[in-house]
Amino acid sequence: MTIRPLFAALAVTALAGCAADPAPNEQMRLTGQALEQATAVGATVEDVPELKLAEGKYSQAKADMADQSFKDARVQAEQAELDARLAEAKVLTLKSQEQLNVLNTRIARLRKQLGDAQ
Amino acid sequence: MKLKNGVLGGLLLASLYGCAGQHSDVALQQAYNDFQKVKEDSNVLRIAPKDVIRAGESLARADRLSSYWGSGADVQHYAYLSQRYSEIARQHSEKVLNEERAAKLELERQRLQLALREAKLLSVQQQGKWLEEQIISLATTQTDRGLVMTLGDVLFDTGEAELKSSANRTVLKIVQFLQLNPKRVVRIEGYTDSTGGKQENRKLSRDRAQAVADMLMDLGVDDKRIHVEGYGDEYPVEANASERGRAQNRRVEIVFSDEKGQLGAAR
Repeated sequence: MTIRPLFAALAVTALAGCAADPAPNEQMRLTGQALEQATAVGATVEDVPELKLAEGKYSQAKADMADQSFKDARVQAEQAELDARLAEAKVLTLKSQEQLNVLNTRIARLRKQLGDAQ
Repeated sequence: MKLKNGVLGGLLLASLYGCAGQHSDVALQQAYNDFQKVKEDSNVLRIAPKDVIRAGESLARADRLSSYWGSGADVQHYAYLSQRYSEIARQHSEKVLNEERAAKLELERQRLQLALREAKLLSVQQQGKWLEEQIISLATTQTDRGLVMTLGDVLFDTGEAELKSSANRTVLKIVQFLQLNPKRVVRIEGYTDSTGGKQENRKLSRDRAQAVADMLMDLGVDDKRIHVEGYGDEYPVEANASERGRAQNRRVEIVFSDEKGQLGAAR
């Protein structure tokens, strides 16, 4: 685990209240990508509340980046990334459920026709 | 699977420290509960092990941070991430389970579709049987030559080979019957009464049979399935002495083969 030395730093920053974090450029990129992916599978802010959350946090992260509040930016961006990933996963699950419903409808229709034919 | 359980078990957190504040305690507890649920779900473990591990790692981090004073916000953050990973794992596994269900249903659908096709085919065959009964009742007799249908003299004018339009219904029924029984073939036999010369009658009888054959072909019956014969005034069904008898002898007979296409021998 590489986070052990981080604990001390975190404790210190928490006490001192000053942020010495580096700019989370890679995290910002990942978050942007996750948002794009969620949108690409058809998630919309109207239908998926997690996407709305993600976009809000991503905007906040961008603002934090501009203010050089890198720790806040990282927190917002990390949460936004997972919000977006959850939005994507929810859309895909919904689609698989719809596919299942279509199949069930077809099967019911086939069964009915078979019932009629016999 | 066993190994994975062990790893995840190692990530299990027993104690929740109270020093990180009320809010982060609640967040930590919720994350812990969510993680427990996905960790104990064998489907989620099978389908989305990575997300479950990440949920455990984030939770472990939140738990460790909770022992530090003033780390409430960080605890809440990692607890949040952990909860998200648990939920993502649950969604992924739900999706894959749906896909697995769909694959099974697709097989079921194909099976039913096949069954339905067979049932339809059966009903067409039954319809064919029904039509066969109709045709039999229409004007056929089961003879030693097979199923024979007689088109009477009313369908031809005296000395003419042209089929009258009143024959249409009957001919259409024959076409339909042959379409439903694609292996059956027919022999169309023409007959005349004894009026006129032998040679002339033979030609006239053949022309009459051919007229019926032509119409069948026009309606889509393959010519390979139609044999044409002209027997002239041979094989009368009645004595030629009376007009009524002669009328009955002026006829075209359609001999149907059996279902396999076996036609009785020609006369």
